[in-house]
Formats: sequence, C-alpha cells, structure tokens
Amino acid sequence: MARIRVQAPQDLVAGASLVAVALFALWAAGPLDSGRMGAPGPGLLPRFLALMVGGAGLALVGVSLARPGESLGRWPVRGPALIALSVVTFALTIRVPGLVVAGPAAMLVAGAASPETRWKELAIFSFAVTAVCTALFRSLLHLPIPILVIPGWVTL
Amino acid sequence: MSALLSNLSLGFSVAFTLPNLGLCFLGCLVGTLIGVLPGIGPIATITMLLPVTFGLPPVGALIMLAGIYYGAQYGGSTTAILVNIPGEVTSVVTTIDGHQMARQGRAGAALGIAALGSFFAGCVATVIIAGLAVPLTRVALLFGPAEYAALMTAGLAFAVVLARGSILKSIAMVLLGLLLSTVGQDLETGADRMTFGVASLSDGIDFAVLAMGLFGFAEVMRNLTVDQARDVVHGKIGRLLPTRGELKQSALPVVRGTLLGAVLGILPGNGAVLGPFASYALEKKLARDPRRFGRGAIEGVAGPESANNAGAQTSFIPLLTLGIPPNAVMALMVGAMTIHGIVPGPLVMTRNASLFWGVIASMWIGNLMLLVINLPLIGAWVRLLKVPYRLLYPTIVIVCCVGIYSVNNLPEDVLATSVVALLGYAGSRLGFESAPLLLGFVLGRLLEENLRRALAISRGDLAIFIHRPVSAWLLLTGLIVLVVAVVPAIRTRREQVFVEE
Repeated sequence: MARIRVQAPQDLVAGASLVAVALFALWAAGPLDSGRMGAPGPGLLPRFLALMVGGAGLALVGVSLARPGESLGRWPVRGPALIALSVVTFALTIRVPGLVVAGPAAMLVAGAASPETRWKELAIFSFAVTAVCTALFRSLLHLPIPILVIPGWVTL
Repeated sequence: MSALLSNLSLGFSVAFTLPNLGLCFLGCLVGTLIGVLPGIGPIATITMLLPVTFGLPPVGALIMLAGIYYGAQYGGSTTAILVNIPGEVTSVVTTIDGHQMARQGRAGAALGIAALGSFFAGCVATVIIAGLAVPLTRVALLFGPAEYAALMTAGLAFAVVLARGSILKSIAMVLLGLLLSTVGQDLETGADRMTFGVASLSDGIDFAVLAMGLFGFAEVMRNLTVDQARDVVHGKIGRLLPTRGELKQSALPVVRGTLLGAVLGILPGNGAVLGPFASYALEKKLARDPRRFGRGAIEGVAGPESANNAGAQTSFIPLLTLGIPPNAVMALMVGAMTIHGIVPGPLVMTRNASLFWGVIASMWIGNLMLLVINLPLIGAWVRLLKVPYRLLYPTIVIVCCVGIYSVNNLPEDVLATSVVALLGYAGSRLGFESAPLLLGFVLGRLLEENLRRALAISRGDLAIFIHRPVSAWLLLTGLIVLVVAVVPAIRTRREQVFVEE
C-alpha cells in the first residue's frame, strides 16, 4: 500500500483550518432555522456558506496530498505578538488615563517587536508622536479622544 | 454630448469652491504621504479618517477620500522607484524598471514619466467615468434583485481570478468573507445569527475593525518579518522632465496602460490591482527588444503607472452607478455615503447630481494638484523616505489605534482589531490573501438581500437566475472566468503575469 505523503504542508494546514472554521460556523448556526427555498430562513445562507468553506478546505487538504507545494515556512511569533500586545495596551489605557499614557506605552511595547529599536530614541519619539496626535486628532479634527483622565481629578 | 458638458460644468462649479478645493488638496496630500510610506495603504488610512468625515458635508467628504485613494497611486511610485519597495500594492511592478532607472541616475525621468503618465491616465479616466455614468445608470435602473445578485456573484468570480496566489484559497477567502457578513441580525426575521449573545455583534462584524485589523496591523506584523533594509538611491535625482526621446518612447505605453487599467478597473472584484501587471506584461510583449525590461526600460514605468491610476479612478464606476463597491476602498466610500443618508446606487446621479458630478470633477482637479505635489515637491518625499522603519512602524500602530478607537469611541473595537490582526497574520502565513475576504464581506449583505428578494419573487425557484437573460449572462460570464482560470494553460500565463521576475 502506498503511503500517503503530505506534499504541501502549508496547504494541508490551510485546508484543515478552513474545515475547523466551517465546523465552528455550523455549530454556531445550529439553532437557526434554514427555512425553505421559497421562504429562506436566517440559517440558510450561513449554513450553505459554511459547507462551501468546509468543502474548499477539504479540497485544499486533498491538493496538499497530491501536489507538491510550499512548506509551512517560518512563523515568527515574537514580533506579531508584541504588536498585538501593543494594541491591547492601547485599548486598556485609552479611557483611563488617556492618550498621554496610552500613546507612549503602546509605542514602546510595539518597539520591542523589532531588534533594531533604539530605546532612548523611541522614548523621545513616542512622546513627540503623541503630542502630534493630540494636536491633530483632538484640536484640529475635534475627535473625542481622552487625552488625560485621572478619575476625580482631571478630565482632558 | 451637451448633457455631458453641462453635467461636467455643474461638477466643476461644485468642486471649484474653496472648501472643496481645500479638501481635495488635503486628500491628495494625505494620499501621497501614505502612498510614499510603505506599510500603510489607503484602506487603513480611509478607515482611520472616516470619523473625521462625519462632520463634513458629504461632497467634501467623498472628494477628500477619493483624493486619498488616487493620490496613493502617485505616491506609491516614488517609493518604488527610489527605494525598490512598493509603496502600494499597485506599484509592485514599478520597482522592476523604475528602480533600475534610478540606479542609472535617471530617477528624475522615471518619477517624471510616472507622474505625467498618471496625470494623463487620470484625465482620461475622469472622462470615461463621466461618459459611462449616464448609460450605465440607465442599465442599472432595469436591474432587479436577480440581476444584482448575479452581477455580484460574477464580481466575486472576477475577484477570485484577479487575486494573487492560489485560486482555491481565493475562493475560500471570498466564501469566508461572505460567511462573516452573515454574522449579526437577520435582515428579515431579526433573529441574531452566530452572535453568541454578544450585543455589539448584533449589528454584524464592524467593517472598520476587519479592515483595520487585516490591512493596518496585520500589514505591520508581516512587514516586521521581512527585511526592511532601505536601498534609498543616493545622489542626484536628475532632471524631472523626461527628454523628448523618452517622452516619445513612453507615449504609446501610457495610452495602452491607461486603457488597460481603465477597463480592468471597472470590473467588480478589484481589477485595479491587476492593471499594472497586465500593462507590464503587454509592454514587454510588444517591445522590439524585451531584454531591456528589468534593466531600466522607461516603458516598464510609463505603462503600469498609468494603468494603476486609471484603474483606481474607474473603480468608482460600479459604486456610483450600480451601488456595488468593487473593492474595499469603495466599500469605505459606501460607509461615508450612508452616514450622510445617501444610498449608493443608480439614484445618486439624479437625486444628488451635484455630489455625483462634483466628485468626478474633483478627480481631474486632484490629478492636477498631484502633479504639483509630486514633481516640484519630490525633495520633501525623499526626505520622508529616510525615516527608518524602526520609528515608522510604532507610529503606524499608534495612529491606527487612535483611528480605530475614534470610529465608535470604543476600546472594545481596538481589542477586537488586535484579534483580527493576529488571525490575518496567521492567514497570510498560510497563503491566504486578505483582499478577497474583505470583498466577500463587503458584498455579503447586499448579495444576501438581493438573493432572498429574488427567491421571494420566484417563490423559491432558482431558475429565476437563468430565465432572466441579463442575470443568466452575468452568471455565465462569472462561470467562464472561473473555469478559464482553472484551465492549466491559462493558469500558468496568469501566474507569469503576477510573477514577472
């Protein structure tokens, strides 16, 4: 019996992920009524699309076994994770204490994502950018971004 | 003809007011800026600036946003030529010959011909939009739900074929985009679909969150993993005006690039991206000595640069006449319009005539402004390119954060965006493209609405899509396009167009 060999690991993982997404969507759409063709219910299209996505995923898995393709390649995690963390930092600090803290904090976390970062330079630069953002978005464009909020003390 | 002239003069009277001229200039300036800067494109920028436009009159808002989009096409070429990094996706091919020209000390000529070609393309595209708008709108008024659904399906088929990379993966991305668009309240019954009881999901997944995550942050994540060493051309840029000989060499490529770009731009499904690739392939094929390409052939800059600008502008046509956004940028335009109570579609031209023609006229004015912004002021942009990426990317992150927060003033949106970004990054590692997903998402609701309306009319008989001739033709076109793309012989050709060294 010929052993089945994975020839395109990237496609295999890609296809498997699609199948997972499709199964998840089918589960999520579980309670929805599909209706009939003449009177389509809310569940018809989501279910149909989920099946199609799953089908595409299965096809990809099939292709990955049949045709040579790309390897999975490198998956650098540090950089992207730190960028995401930087965005999360911003989200958690923007209401309180506001942009004055959120801006530099997010930029410094983001800075850790690159090996080329020079910390002193970035620290100074981050305050400058925050100042420019404040001037641009708050003063010039009148967007209601909290600049400095210390509960019971200051609200800017 | 006289109707066209009177329409255009109405447009110019709107566009030539001081605030609108100012907004047009601002849009073009911002567009050039983000075009020059690699790592941030029009999708993230327009998402970011959407809240700013809430306070503007609708005409001004659209004029500015449009300026950002086509302005980015001008700016993208500067980076491509001087640094050998495409500032935008649409200037990828310009790096091939443009940068070679720069290395031979002909950077000025390359920049000059890119700007002049773009300007020519912009003028022609403006006329094409103006000329096609009226007849297409008339056609659109004859469209019923079945035709609309068929047209969008055909558009998605085009999107699959025009996307780069694996066709199967593109199909999956379009389907996934459609699937994501079904999250939220059902249009007819009001039932919550796949929201898991999260109240904010009832309105569906926020387009801004998706767009910013996939095209703002995920882009930064991707760029971190590639080497960002800058190969900025040192020394003189040289004279900006091409010589008479160079102009003569470029004239026909510019015309061909413009037409090719304009036609591809109209296609629903983001044809604008394909324009420059197709133009480059065409010029290489037509050239007497194809070996010059890749070694600083001016035709390799003139054609593609004209094509991308023409395509960027003609992609407004499906939006303005049919109300169907052909790409993510146009979807953001839909957002800008609906906020002001304007429903994109064939009625815009009659109900909001001054807006319609004002935006079109502003494109010509904007192209003129871009010529000035890009040629005499090139020195300023070159200096900007010297900002190292280690400082640039944290700045992009923070500005995108402020932007996405401002859309709804919700920190939750910012959190959600970071999740989308990580998923987008993982997807790109697996070879999935974000563009088809976003287009599927954009068209999803509209498609479902029309699909269900059509089925209601036919009492559930799917044959309605075949019995109505226009819808049948559209579906057939979409099918043919898909089949043709899968046929091996043509598929290798398509890959060649995209790879090109």
